Amino acid sequence: MSSEENIKWINEQFKDTNELTMKTLEDEDKKAELFYIKPLIDVELLQQIVIKPYFEMPSETKYIRYLKALPQFQDSKSPEQLKTEVLNGNVVLFIQNKFYLLDLKFSFNDQTNTASVETTIHGSQLALSDNIATNINIIRSDYHQPTLYVEYSTIGQVNNHKLAIIYDKEKVNKNALNIITEKLQQVDKQVITSTVQLSNYINNKKYSLFPQLIMTERPDRIVYNLAGGKVILLVDGNPQALIAPVYFFDFMTSMEDNYHSFYISFFLKFLRYTGLFISLLLPGLYIGITSFAPEVFRTELALTIAGSRIGVPFSSFVEVLFMLFFMEMLLEASIRLPKTISATATTVGGLILGTAVTEASLASDIMVIIVSAVAISTFVIPINEMAFTIRVIRFFFILAATLLGLAGLTLALYALIMYLVSIDSFGEPYLKFNEKKTSKTKAGEEI
Amino acid sequence: MSRFYYYLIIINMVANIIASVPAILLNYHDDGAVISMLLSIAAGVLLVTLYTKFFLKYPGKTLPELLEKTTSKWFYLPFVFVLAVLWFVAGLITLITFTFLLIRYLSPEMPIILICLTLILSVIFGCILKTDRVMYTVEMIMIITSPLILFIFFKAYSSNSLNWDFVREAALYINQVPNWHSFSACFFLFLGAANLFIFNRFFTDKQKFGFRQIMFIVLISVGTLFTTYFIPIGFNGLEGIDDLVYPWISTTDSIRMDYFIIERVLFMFLLFYLGIAFLSILIHWYAAVEFLKFTFKLEKIKYKDKVIGIFLPLPIFVAISLYFVTVLTEYQLFQYSSYFYDVLVFIFPGMILLFTYINRRMKNDESPSEN
Repeated sequence: MSSEENIKWINEQFKDTNELTMKTLEDEDKKAELFYIKPLIDVELLQQIVIKPYFEMPSETKYIRYLKALPQFQDSKSPEQLKTEVLNGNVVLFIQNKFYLLDLKFSFNDQTNTASVETTIHGSQLALSDNIATNINIIRSDYHQPTLYVEYSTIGQVNNHKLAIIYDKEKVNKNALNIITEKLQQVDKQVITSTVQLSNYINNKKYSLFPQLIMTERPDRIVYNLAGGKVILLVDGNPQALIAPVYFFDFMTSMEDNYHSFYISFFLKFLRYTGLFISLLLPGLYIGITSFAPEVFRTELALTIAGSRIGVPFSSFVEVLFMLFFMEMLLEASIRLPKTISATATTVGGLILGTAVTEASLASDIMVIIVSAVAISTFVIPINEMAFTIRVIRFFFILAATLLGLAGLTLALYALIMYLVSIDSFGEPYLKFNEKKTSKTKAGEEI
Repeated sequence: MSRFYYYLIIINMVANIIASVPAILLNYHDDGAVISMLLSIAAGVLLVTLYTKFFLKYPGKTLPELLEKTTSKWFYLPFVFVLAVLWFVAGLITLITFTFLLIRYLSPEMPIILICLTLILSVIFGCILKTDRVMYTVEMIMIITSPLILFIFFKAYSSNSLNWDFVREAALYINQVPNWHSFSACFFLFLGAANLFIFNRFFTDKQKFGFRQIMFIVLISVGTLFTTYFIPIGFNGLEGIDDLVYPWISTTDSIRMDYFIIERVLFMFLLFYLGIAFLSILIHWYAAVEFLKFTFKLEKIKYKDKVIGIFLPLPIFVAISLYFVTVLTEYQLFQYSSYFYDVLVFIFPGMILLFTYINRRMKNDESPSEN
């Protein structure tokens, strides 16, 4: 192709956009054509490393050698790929009927965030950024192993987002890796904009309640899991990474557990699991004990509960559902509201509703205590996705207790455990005491 | 041995504390129960050892698979079907006993069918899981329930109401002639090892079963039997002990936790023991479903390319259990389970003959192939 044809071809490809910039560099006997999309590239850098040397170099051959030595230089690809590369922020140079690609991408989203979802007191406060290259940079600089392997691909047929699959080639769970890559190939969605969305597509189960990938923003969690042989997925433009496969216990671990001394982290874990059981079982227990078997509690306590229920016109399960419903509403409202108003929601909901509801005897005092205890315990669960799941599962437990009493509640717990053991996350049982787990934590500690 | 092996043995032993075993034993407290217990420990440990040693030789192989290799079709198909029935009945006994317990002590107003159905529905989907998942479930629930159950045993032993004089008096009946029914009831506790017929599929690694392991099993069984038999006597005395329908429930109801929010230990005992019963039913019915799968080749039954065969036994299980739970009385349940235990005493030692036959056939099979 002659250079005119090339220019014509490029223009043809981009005829539907008005942002393609074409520049001709001319100097004595030299001539080069330059194509780029202006908003995508670093104009200053372009001026410094491409345009300025062009006019300083004596010959074209020397300039080409110079171009090839630049770190931004990309191997030449087929003309068809040029189009995608230009859209990714590359600059195309035509010199003597050959094209040269330079990656001069400029992005505003490479600032790292501070951890806001998984906050800790100890340890790093750094979270991932929106930029995939920056994220990989962060991971690589925290995980110094030559075995760290990064595979790139694109997802979303329309928006062609960049996806990185990161794992430690030596330690990775190979079976899980195969399943993940297989699943990724099956995803045929037009637009994928976030990692969370991706996680819904690759777990293949439309109705699964339990999250099968952990979404995290903390680089230290990523590094810890890489060392444990897990696979990390990063999507460009997202400050969250996905980790797979996961065990149920991963959702109950905060990164801070590793930063405290043994007894303190044991205490914190104890709190967390107690919180889990309280938030799951307490409303059901209230129903089971008040409506089915009040003799379970010691007499004084049974009388106190019965006394506080005097005047409440509902049966216990209506009372529980009524209060829990308003608590869930309050939670949802305080997430959606702008920060300045959300304090009002808490005041209105917590103080006014809580006091007024007991004074109007629509719920007992003890019920208000239970609902607040349940709400607080739900927040103790460190990974947000699991907290959402627990909130939903709680209603199943309430149903079991309403229909079948305490025995139903207990059996529901055992059946839930059996269900958790039976489902898998990318070939691994979801809930299981793992002998390998100890070696994994050891591997984590070595770093 | 893998810890999962001990779970199989322990669950079968511990689950029967609340079933009819202590009632049968206490019924014969002045008629040779003590000496039968001692004899059954000897016989039981021997049986466990022989069973375990046999299955250790064929890691990862289930009994039906071994039978298929070594015996002919007319023998192994009916035989495995009989095994399925035995395992189903074993699970059914635990199920019905616990249903009776729940309706009597926890929720007397609830219809019995509903209670039974709750138990069945929670457990039945476990019967179609993979073997390793069943084992992991067993481990999880054991770990959740066992601390509290151990605590309750501790409370029982440390209680002021436990009168050791009664225990000593009961032990004096050791000089009686052993009694058949109490021997067979005790012997049933050791049949947890028979779950290896199916669960050996899980134990694929080479394992060690030597003196230490055997001693450990002796220790567990002595502890369990002693607790099962003597603790109710210590609390209730010897007079009229044979009239108690559920000796262990009456015993735990005598224990109080004075300063805790739940004063009567009974309720905690019931709810946590529900976990053990759950596991016992799960293990037995899982094995039963596996035997049925083998006999009727259920995995080959398909409807629109979906394997529906493995679901076929489940409604039958539900129907049979619901029928029996409404028909049986507590007295009949004890009678029939006592007969069931009696039958097992003949069947399971008899299996050892079968094992030696399989061993010889397997050797014959192997030696020509080596040449």
